[in-house]
Amino acid sequence: MVVTHSRKRIEIIVDAPLLRRVRMLADEAGITGHTLQRALGGGGEDGRWRDDRVTGGVGSKIIFSAISDEDNADKFLAILEPLLEEYGLIVTLSTVEVMRAERF
Amino acid sequence: MESLLSPVILFFGLGVFAAYVRSDLAIPEALSKALSLYLMAAIGLKGGVLVAQSGFTIDLVLAAVAGLALSCLIPIGAFVLLRGFGRLDSTNAAAVAAHYGSVSVVTFITGNEILSDDGMPPAGYMIAVLAIMETPAIIIGLMLARRDPGVRTEAGGDLLRETLFNGSVLLLTGSFLIGLVVGKEGFASIAPVFETGFTGLLCLFLLDMGLLAAHRLRNARNLTLRLVGLAVFFPLVNGTIGCFVGAVIGLDAGTSTALGILAASASYIAVPAAMRMALPKADPGLYLTMSLAVTFPFNIIIGIPLYSMMATWMV
Repeated sequence: MVVTHSRKRIEIIVDAPLLRRVRMLADEAGITGHTLQRALGGGGEDGRWRDDRVTGGVGSKIIFSAISDEDNADKFLAILEPLLEEYGLIVTLSTVEVMRAERF
Repeated sequence: MESLLSPVILFFGLGVFAAYVRSDLAIPEALSKALSLYLMAAIGLKGGVLVAQSGFTIDLVLAAVAGLALSCLIPIGAFVLLRGFGRLDSTNAAAVAAHYGSVSVVTFITGNEILSDDGMPPAGYMIAVLAIMETPAIIIGLMLARRDPGVRTEAGGDLLRETLFNGSVLLLTGSFLIGLVVGKEGFASIAPVFETGFTGLLCLFLLDMGLLAAHRLRNARNLTLRLVGLAVFFPLVNGTIGCFVGAVIGLDAGTSTALGILAASASYIAVPAAMRMALPKADPGLYLTMSLAVTFPFNIIIGIPLYSMMATWMV
């Protein structure tokens, strides 16, 4: 029987120019590991958008995902909360099972 | 009319058409980014080589001072009109104004190509003027935004790095300096890459820009008729002023047109990223749509031939 442990997965969709800020805030919250993915396109209340790397990355969105314990995840969300509107961040939080708990 | 039938403009038109008929035509984003880097390196190199041949002249200094002054003053006039006629708040007005004070490399490259085809190539040092005009408007835009105590700006190391060492500015300036150092002889060995294929690759890039501009215009939500009007009015007025200043300081018709094109163009590479960081509350859907989806096509199709005619008449 494989032993797994419960952890929090935070996923943030962020405009490419603001990624560095999000990374810094994650560090501040004690979250050191993360993975980045490029988004191809999408749609929302401001209409549709598609990945566009020519216009200084403003038309490009990155998916930042990190897994951490609950305390650090809460700390990170508290830091992000005042910035959600201005930065136009889409933040989701989910509970996941991990195998090597000491890594997260 | 002749310039409207040049391959670069026709490819741009093809991109716009493809987007409007919802064709699945698309240039892969990685290729599009690579093309933009290639064009910046090529134009920087060519400019550097030309300056290496002609040397530093008084015209270069005058054009640089004129470019710097235009990029500092244009955002102030634009800000006033955007607040008054455009009915934008201080944050959005400042962000949009900064775009109009800065320049569009692709508009300049296209103009350079068309003017060279018409037998009036601008002086090589205009690349240096282009680089000088990229960033001052960002600082002026932030100063305009900060006049309103309710506006929060986020300045810091990130912004300073983005402003001074933005990839496009760095590549353009670096290539210019490399061209200056290697001169015509050193350039000969790399000319097959940076000269022979230049116009063809510019056509492909403009095809993508046509797609991009039309997609952005089609999905624009917050763009009012007043703002569309200003996005056409700004290049007309700024382009006229640029041509006039070029003629007054004694530049030739091609170089005066290039100054007009720089004054008329609006950034959509360096400034959007800086504004997204410094004024996160400003709406990218506004500033990017105005500069990329309205002003850029206007300059490419109508502006460049118009500024060329005006400069020829003024000089």
